[in-house]
Amino acid sequence: MVEVEALTKVYPPDVRAVDAIDFAVEPGEVFGLLGPNGAGKSTTIGMLATTIAPTGGSARIAGHDVAADPLAARRVTSVVFQEPVVDRSLTGRRHLALHARLWGVEPTEEPADVLGIAHLLDRPVGSYSGGERRRLEIARALVSRPRVLFLDEPTVGLDPRIRHELLDVLDSLRRRGDLTLLVTTHYLDEAERLCDRLAIMHAGRIVALDTPAALCSRLGDELVELRVDGDGRTALTVLRERGVAGPDSFVVGSTLTIPLVDRRARDAIAEIERAQLRVASLSTRRPTVDDVYLHLTGGRLAEAA
Amino acid sequence: MTAIAEALPALASRRFALTTRTPRELLVPLLTPMLFALVIAPALKTALHTTAAYESYVAIGTVALLVPLNTFFLGLGVIVDRESGAQRELLTAPIPRALLVLGNLVVALVVTALQVAALIAFAVARRIHFHPDGARVLWFVVAVALLTVAMYGAAETLASRIPRQEEYVARIPAIAIAPWFLAGSLFPITAMPVVLTWVARFLPLTHALALMRYGLLGDGAGLHAIWHVHSTATAAALSLAVVTAFALALTAAAVRAFERSARS
Repeated sequence: MVEVEALTKVYPPDVRAVDAIDFAVEPGEVFGLLGPNGAGKSTTIGMLATTIAPTGGSARIAGHDVAADPLAARRVTSVVFQEPVVDRSLTGRRHLALHARLWGVEPTEEPADVLGIAHLLDRPVGSYSGGERRRLEIARALVSRPRVLFLDEPTVGLDPRIRHELLDVLDSLRRRGDLTLLVTTHYLDEAERLCDRLAIMHAGRIVALDTPAALCSRLGDELVELRVDGDGRTALTVLRERGVAGPDSFVVGSTLTIPLVDRRARDAIAEIERAQLRVASLSTRRPTVDDVYLHLTGGRLAEAA
Repeated sequence: MTAIAEALPALASRRFALTTRTPRELLVPLLTPMLFALVIAPALKTALHTTAAYESYVAIGTVALLVPLNTFFLGLGVIVDRESGAQRELLTAPIPRALLVLGNLVVALVVTALQVAALIAFAVARRIHFHPDGARVLWFVVAVALLTVAMYGAAETLASRIPRQEEYVARIPAIAIAPWFLAGSLFPITAMPVVLTWVARFLPLTHALALMRYGLLGDGAGLHAIWHVHSTATAAALSLAVVTAFALALTAAAVRAFERSARS
């Protein structure tokens, strides 16, 4: 449904916002672009939505090349942007009707019903709450029955309750099965909950692409996380010399993360105690996408975002 | 073609709805020309002991101030749309992006027509006389329409190239108002030094204004001052060609500038 090959965006003088990325999204799949602000996620969406001109490479949506045939590509897509993109003085109903006319479809309020905002449609959008406005933007995008829906950071800036409500909405779209979703986010829980597959972006490149489970399994079933008093790098060197930490272990500040690929947690902890490091805290847990990201990029998502 | 026929009214209708909810865009451009037509011109007539014809002369001159002011204020809406409106949604629609410019242009023409009609109506109510004569009034209508197209093209081009409202507003006096003083609005262009007279001949405003006075007052002096030909009809046709050329060129520039800014 979405095919991206060597897609590149370079801003003058030589800022490579997106650097020759490749991926393909199957029909009905929910595909996530995960990464911090500045990773190139929104630029990628912008190129697929034809609001940003690619510098190189190609992208096709439902077989339509976004550069050669942008109108055909736009006809089968809709976009929900990161920032509010609404006319605040116009009513919700007017937004839905305009979208229908521009996409050449019959106006419908069904998406507004599904998203629980039908009762708000006669009010100016300026009077909507943040969550209501975001629901309207999603409803508007669905009016034209797109084959591909781009959601750029759909929950950013929303309070936790509204964010979880919106995730339920997106989950229901996911279950429809006839809609391909391409979602960007820097929230790990959102990515793991919604996406069939994830591409982790860093500095304009895709550094990993797989299912959330497969990405996490790269670091084994369990890992040890310890915080030391003093230099984390020195502690990691010590643990590597003692055979506790492998090449996939990493450190951020004073926190060490040690995947346990072929070692039991109890043995690793005993060896750490024998190393006589000044350990402030120590725990074991299952790997998360955050750990994968950290392993691949050397920085935590939350810190980078 | 069907999509375009459906999309253009939809876009114009949206822009019109936004404009009518922004009284600033409707009223502010009207204030200065009203002041000139209804207060300053009668005052000048009294102070300079001129004839009633001078009031009519200035009233038409103020139309040439109203059009640039109105179109440039409407251009502000483009920046607002880009900064905090739904422009990005429109850019993802399966329609040629030129339609967004043309939809705005339609509204500029409608709003300008309403404002010019209001100005003329106020002037008539103030007992300022015009001499519309059958088909000749069409020269006035066409000149106003083409000047509106040209000025809106300039406004939209500027709005597409300038990132912030403050910078845009700062340029309005130089682009929309300064030429008005040179275009024969308050006095014939031949009253100025020769160099400025020549500058005036290259302004679309000068040609449009001469056509407007010919259409509504039957006064061909402005056209003769530009072209130095005996036939008023020939001079009018030449000025119409000039204004048309500006209108087409500036609309093309507006579409190009918008499309470039829309695909960063």
